[in-house]
Amino acid sequence: MFLSVGVRFEANVEALNMVETAGNYSKHRRVPYLVEEDGKLKSVYVPAVSGESLAHAYQEHLVREALGMGLPVCDDCAKGEFFKSMDEVHLAPKLFLLDRVFKTVFRDVTTVSDETLRILNEELEKAKKSKKLNEEKIAQLKSYIELIQRFKNADNPRALFIQHKSVASQVIGNYMIKKNILDLSPYTIEEIIVKNCTIEDIGGFMYAGSPPVRRSSVFQVSYALPIKSMALFATAEPQLHARHAQMEGGKKGNVSEQMIYYVETGTALYGFTFNLDLDAIGVSAITSKPILDEDEIKKRREAALKALFRMLSSAQFGAKLSRFFPVGGITELVVSVTEHPFVVTSPIYDDYAEKTEKRLKVLESFGESYFYAKSSGEKLPEEVLKEAIEYIREKGHI
Amino acid sequence: MVLLVFFLKVEVNPTGIIALRALPQSKMRNALRYIPPSTLIGAIAYPLFHIKGERKETLMERKNPKSAADTLRGIFLWTTIKMSGKSKAYGSILKINRLHRGSVESAITSLPFTVMYGERDYSMSIVYLLKEEAISASSYSLKDFERAAWGISRLGSRESVVSVESVESGRVEIHEADEARTSYAFPFTGKEVEGRGALQAVFDWRKGIGSYSNTSFIVMFYPEEEVTVRGALKVVSLDGEEVVL
Repeated sequence: MFLSVGVRFEANVEALNMVETAGNYSKHRRVPYLVEEDGKLKSVYVPAVSGESLAHAYQEHLVREALGMGLPVCDDCAKGEFFKSMDEVHLAPKLFLLDRVFKTVFRDVTTVSDETLRILNEELEKAKKSKKLNEEKIAQLKSYIELIQRFKNADNPRALFIQHKSVASQVIGNYMIKKNILDLSPYTIEEIIVKNCTIEDIGGFMYAGSPPVRRSSVFQVSYALPIKSMALFATAEPQLHARHAQMEGGKKGNVSEQMIYYVETGTALYGFTFNLDLDAIGVSAITSKPILDEDEIKKRREAALKALFRMLSSAQFGAKLSRFFPVGGITELVVSVTEHPFVVTSPIYDDYAEKTEKRLKVLESFGESYFYAKSSGEKLPEEVLKEAIEYIREKGHI
Repeated sequence: MVLLVFFLKVEVNPTGIIALRALPQSKMRNALRYIPPSTLIGAIAYPLFHIKGERKETLMERKNPKSAADTLRGIFLWTTIKMSGKSKAYGSILKINRLHRGSVESAITSLPFTVMYGERDYSMSIVYLLKEEAISASSYSLKDFERAAWGISRLGSRESVVSVESVESGRVEIHEADEARTSYAFPFTGKEVEGRGALQAVFDWRKGIGSYSNTSFIVMFYPEEEVTVRGALKVVSLDGEEVVL
């Protein structure tokens, strides 16, 4: 099933997406809009919120929902640092955090340890003979060797890695994976990541090791842009703020009595589109076969939907919410749920809801059922989202 | 000789940014200004695979992984796009300060994108010409391709979400001509062009999709307005518009 949501929200005095600072001036993200004036095109720059920013916010909500439902989330993602297994060292912890994964990858602890120790001892000898001053590297190699020796003889080798997570990640990433001591095919790498982390299953990842493995995000999100008919009313204005320091007893270091700074705040009626391909969750992008059992896939789908609900209902997306929480809120929302991909017309266009409804009717000629709903005076955006989730539940997908 | 082929004409509205990464990748992540044919095939491949419950995106053949869209290459006779308005590349300089494992890290990066949207109505029109014999030999039907066209959800990478506003289909003949008027992109080599537009080297999708380690390029002309093309041309006419192959 494929869910597509078009959201319009009013944001007065917001700083949802700041992009650069020049001294004490923080700039709002802006993008060029093409405007036709007297038959000629010209560009105007309007405030915007990037899809990357919205996607980050969504994934933070997903972390909370997943953990709340007892689903696995890797350490990096749990901290809101979405490195997404980008290299061997960031992949490494996923090899030992889950018991079922550890047992598959480290089947023969003795052989793996002996081969790693051989390479590490060679490196240590080289480092000792080198004319360069590399005491730090020598100390590091010694710590790796010590850990692997303990690993080889440990009663519970997985527990040992968990106890020394940082060193274990480095030695596994930089030696066991990079030197091909562990037999990791692209499929195995994908399977390990997906089993270990709900966020990387849903949000995708790009492992840039050898062999490289990629998985597209199952959700897509557009930029939030001012709606077209009102784009020229959108503004990004700097607001002056001051921070004061008490100056009793004279100047304290370089701190002056009054520090001024500017924050550019945007005001606009924004629109963005969010898509979620529920069928891709828990399924391999290499073999096309499920990696997880049906129950866990259903739970992860539910977490993905709840995270969207939470993000929209709480307006917790974007930056600087603690002092620049936008005044306004969601003004309109449309949702479609289809069997195969279908995207609602972007809410930056005025007739987006009517167009979406009309286009959905075409799907009937393909024998496809669908769900469509729009918020209105009587129906809140939250009620619309709830109806969509109920429809997906009735269809047995969660 | 006149050849009849199945066509799909797909009207697409962007939801804002169209981000097209140009290879080779670098820290600057340069963007293509115009949408190449390989991206158009990738765009319809995703919903097409979805219809068959196929989730494969990467083909692990030998050492170079390829896009799963490569399996559809033989079905397409030609694909091209018409874009109203001139695209604009825009990128912000990003300064990022963050706390990472106890220490403060600072980074500056730049993200240029190809940006296509505007105050006036903006749309793109994609034409796919399909080989019916190749479709018959595949597990797909013409109806599947039509439904897939309605399901195009993204062009290029990340936030390039689009919505399909209309799909036309049918059969059209390819004829030979010395001159044509077109707004659709076409291969430039061996042709004389009168009118405004831009040249862009794109990956030759006929040699492979999604594996660009050892690829060849074709030079495409992307018209800004309707242009006149002269040469030994292969042309199709769709609703009074001409498409040069």
